[in-house]
Amino acid sequence: MLRSSLIKVLNGAKVSPKHVCVTFRAASDVAKKPEKIEVFIDDQPVLVDPGTTVLQAAAQVGVEIPRFCYHERLAVAGNCRMCLVEVEKSPKPVAACAMPVMKGWRIKTNSDMTKKAREGVMEFLLVNHPLDCPICDQGGECDLQDQSMAFGSDRSRFTDIQFSGKRAVEDKDLGPLIKTVMTRCIHCTRCIRFASEVAGIDDLGTTGRGSDMQIGTYVEKFFMSELSGNVIDLCPVGALTSKPYSFTARPWEIRKIDSIDVFDAVGSNIVVSTRTNEVLRILPRVNEEINEEWLADKSRFAYDGLKRQRLITPMLRDNKNELTPVDWEAVLLTVCKVLQQAGPNVAAIAGGMADAETLVAVKDLLNRLGSELTCTEHVFPMDGSGTDLRSSYLLNNKISGAEEADAILLIGTNPRFEAPLLNSRLRKTYLHNEAQIAVIGPKVDLTYEYEHLGNNATAICNVLNDNCPFSSTLKNAKKPLIIVGADLLKRADGAAILSLVQSIAAQTCNKVEGWKVLNILHKVASQVAALDIGYTPGVSKIREAKPKALILIGADEGAINKEDLPEDCFIIYQGHHGDLGACMADAVLPGAAYTEKQATYVNTEGRAQQTLVAVSPPGLAKEDWKIIRALSEIVGHKLPYDNLNEIRDRLDEVAPHLTRYGEVEGANYFKQAAQLLQEDEEKTLDDSPIDLKIKELQDYFMTDSISRASPTMAKCVQAVLKQKESKY
Amino acid sequence: MSASTIRVGVKQVKPILSVDTEEAKKRVLNLYKAWHRQLPYIVKKYDIPKSVEQLRLKLREEFMKHKDVKDIRVIDMLVIKGQMELKETVNIWKQKGHIMTYFQDTVEHKPTDFLSQFLS
Repeated sequence: MLRSSLIKVLNGAKVSPKHVCVTFRAASDVAKKPEKIEVFIDDQPVLVDPGTTVLQAAAQVGVEIPRFCYHERLAVAGNCRMCLVEVEKSPKPVAACAMPVMKGWRIKTNSDMTKKAREGVMEFLLVNHPLDCPICDQGGECDLQDQSMAFGSDRSRFTDIQFSGKRAVEDKDLGPLIKTVMTRCIHCTRCIRFASEVAGIDDLGTTGRGSDMQIGTYVEKFFMSELSGNVIDLCPVGALTSKPYSFTARPWEIRKIDSIDVFDAVGSNIVVSTRTNEVLRILPRVNEEINEEWLADKSRFAYDGLKRQRLITPMLRDNKNELTPVDWEAVLLTVCKVLQQAGPNVAAIAGGMADAETLVAVKDLLNRLGSELTCTEHVFPMDGSGTDLRSSYLLNNKISGAEEADAILLIGTNPRFEAPLLNSRLRKTYLHNEAQIAVIGPKVDLTYEYEHLGNNATAICNVLNDNCPFSSTLKNAKKPLIIVGADLLKRADGAAILSLVQSIAAQTCNKVEGWKVLNILHKVASQVAALDIGYTPGVSKIREAKPKALILIGADEGAINKEDLPEDCFIIYQGHHGDLGACMADAVLPGAAYTEKQATYVNTEGRAQQTLVAVSPPGLAKEDWKIIRALSEIVGHKLPYDNLNEIRDRLDEVAPHLTRYGEVEGANYFKQAAQLLQEDEEKTLDDSPIDLKIKELQDYFMTDSISRASPTMAKCVQAVLKQKESKY
Repeated sequence: MSASTIRVGVKQVKPILSVDTEEAKKRVLNLYKAWHRQLPYIVKKYDIPKSVEQLRLKLREEFMKHKDVKDIRVIDMLVIKGQMELKETVNIWKQKGHIMTYFQDTVEHKPTDFLSQFLS
């Protein structure tokens, strides 16, 4: 897709001074606000901005005009004609989605002409739409079904006397996620617009004209993107449906539970659909601040991993060195004995999906045992103020804030796969806000153009010392944004890099109130909560301390292995999947996955959100914090909370923002954080190239214990690899 | 203000049976005595593995459950219910099991403390 400025030029508009010279930027931005104009929707007067479409004006007074092709977050196509409405003194009905209102227009959304127009459009759509609703996956949540009931004619003129059949189109193979039944397609082109505008891959398009028109990928090709699943939601009919969900359930027989996604640090809002204690599918829930209405593919399709490789019973390693199932009493007593013998030589490592309740319970327990060794799996530099000042580890400017930025510097991060929904915002900024984007790190495909400044720490120094053209762009920008990846800060010289970035952020002139330049992008859902609660990032302290007992709370990334620990170290794994952590454990405590517990997660912005119970934990598995609570009682250091409310009170005591759900607790003290970091002893920069764990699409799908257990995700990896081999 | 509203409310309420506490008390005592007199016959007719002594204790327990009820209308209502129970018992409209449910011998109590809840 072309950037909006380019489209304007192509359409004959004058090149705005903004693009000719950056210095004029400030002057051109202050435009006078035009006056509002009055229109009448069904005789209701409404004042709207000039340029508003009829459909938007109607929405302002609460009149919903039926539509298929129009979508708020996509460009206007105006090709389905379902939104035709009558405008007084106009001979023909007008397409409400594409027509800007004029002063004094009287729009009739329910007149005879409008109704007749809708009936006609509906009839034409249904002429070539199969009547296979009973076997269609969209049945029950289909726009075409609903609108034909509401606006269609009550009788059919369709009599296929010659039995020539309806239009039929060959199905496409779009990969392991999207099932296509192209005969059902009504050519709304929402999927095409989504792919080119939001996902940034121009793979989908139309071929042919008239009744031969087809939606497809032109050549045999998969539609593989990290956001591809959203076209399923966008499709108003059953042409594009979810392959893993096909033929499993109807919308009226499933329970829908609002929850939070934990596959990345964005914390997308989701709806978990369940039936008979099974997660059947996951859909996005609208939250303008975080995920708008999109959802990344891993979050959407990795749910089948929740049924596989699960730990369903407590286990202990027996004398044959094998994990054998035991009951809760046995495992708790064994662990208790170990903990009592270990005394204060206990440590804990929190993995990427640990919830705040568990984190607090574990920390409370360890502190009572006399240990301070609570660590997170993912490293963050602890020099200077470390994690004491929240501003040094949050995405301070919020996810929605990225939309307003005009110069963006991405350092050591690949937002496309580390936080796909943040990347879609950045792409939006690039397209509509003409943001200039630069990257320091490996050259990756981000779906938008960027200036590649280099792949090492020197490049960061160059930006700081004005040795590259982008540094002046960044420093003169009104709303500059620097996003640093958590991967980069894991390196030994992470603190030095953070210090450099802080200096760059300090150099930018901060003209806008409340605008925060420095942003850290985390990769896992638990990290911010863990740092807020007071966990030490990184496991180096544990390696030095040589603990006698180690509790892994869903730590599956292999940050520590048996060789790092003393011979007699007893490893306790608490989590939901039999992955790396459970393999090396001596005792396994089965916990609940994020769909099975009411738990708190803090996303990379510092926004606390809670998941709700959608299904019950399988087998003997229990809610995580309760396991710790029970263990504490047996060990003899009873933790003072028995139910969710009481542990939430404890969370509130530790950090009040952890229970203020939905709100971002902002941070500040950037200057002080930078000062403290610089006062620390001289740090040496390592000039080796910056490396990222996830560079390409195939790396994206399987990153944690749930997605590694998911067959769908495995198929996705296979599909991407297969796609690579194909000549297209 | 609110206190006066309540007083008005109390005044306007129509009594069920008793007009004052004294009368309600009398009714309760009458019911208690009636039950008390029937206990030996209940043991005999229903052939339950309980003695008259045990039944007396249970009777007292059942009455003492409501010892804190002050509202005359509620007391009257409870007395009426008690009379109905008595009638059903005396006329053998009940069966052995119905009488034995007063004792709840077979009901297992659910654990209340965290650990037993967790392990159960």
